[in-house]
Amino acid sequence: MELEEMQSIWSELSGQLEKQKKLTDKMIIMMTQDKFRSKINKIAYPEIIGTFVCFGAAILIIVNFNKLDNWYTLLSGIVTLFILIILPVLSLTSINRMRKVEIATSNYKETLLNYAKGKKQFQTVTKWGYYLGFILMFAIMPVTTKILNNKDLFSETKRVWPFAIAIPLAIVFFIVFSKWVMKFYNNNINSAESLIKELEDTNV
Amino acid sequence: MGKEYEFTQIIKDNEGVIFKITTIYTNNQEDQKDLYQEIVYQLWKAFESFRGDAKISTWMYRVALNTAITRIKKEKRRGNRIGIDKVIMLQTEQYDTEFEERLKILYSHIKGLNELEKGLMLLLLEGKKYEEIASITGLSPSNVGTRISRIKEKLRTQIIKE
Repeated sequence: MELEEMQSIWSELSGQLEKQKKLTDKMIIMMTQDKFRSKINKIAYPEIIGTFVCFGAAILIIVNFNKLDNWYTLLSGIVTLFILIILPVLSLTSINRMRKVEIATSNYKETLLNYAKGKKQFQTVTKWGYYLGFILMFAIMPVTTKILNNKDLFSETKRVWPFAIAIPLAIVFFIVFSKWVMKFYNNNINSAESLIKELEDTNV
Repeated sequence: MGKEYEFTQIIKDNEGVIFKITTIYTNNQEDQKDLYQEIVYQLWKAFESFRGDAKISTWMYRVALNTAITRIKKEKRRGNRIGIDKVIMLQTEQYDTEFEERLKILYSHIKGLNELEKGLMLLLLEGKKYEEIASITGLSPSNVGTRISRIKEKLRTQIIKE
């Protein structure tokens, strides 16, 4: 299809649409009001709930930090705390960056550039979130066992076989899963990167 | 009431344009309805600060395109959708199948372009001059020209591949 043909189809479409105007004043006003209501409701709920859960767990660990009385529970505690605090902060910051784009005052190029940068950052954070989440899954076990039950997971566990099965399974799962994560997010990050490069190369 | 009246007139005058933008930037009708509503909402929000420095059509395209590219996908919309179903459905119902088919091919060509090119193509098809495209996109008119030549080349390659 040549450009001229495209233009002719487009103008035919425009003509058809012009003839079939359907919106009423009431519908337009309702759209703006309805959107306003939904805007209040939809503020990053999953991220905010996740942040509360992470910070709640972090506070619980900080309050009971003195119970972590040997090097491995202490190390697990520090790693857990780090992940619980850093992940939600990074995630919320990058979402905020994408949302902060000035729709009314920016031009198309500025909006695309800012949005692509925000998207790249968000995708990178999400990708690392999967890896850190996996580490968190292991690091949090000795910490919670110690804090909630006052038991040392390593020296006081009598049955070893559940771990002997679960840990290799988890590692295999992680390898398969991380390959998928890498492929999925790297594609998204690369496409955002190439758009950023293209926009930054533009001589205005 | 005057402000509301002025705004509704602008939307009514441009409802076809909003429809075309939503078609290009979405892949299904649910998303299209969401985007349609989002664009009207963003235009309403931006209307307050619109001082007439730019042409109304330039302002409108800018806000609508910016809304289309910054929409965060997969986000749950909790508010009820207004009955624009009827608007969108009825607008496509009356075309003949041959035209519908050609339109589908046209949309698939546009959707194959990247976000920057998509916006440029839309404005070109809307019959905008390079200067106005430049003012909407923030590119220089000469850059608009260069990019449009590249898009034409890209489209030709797509056709050869088919």
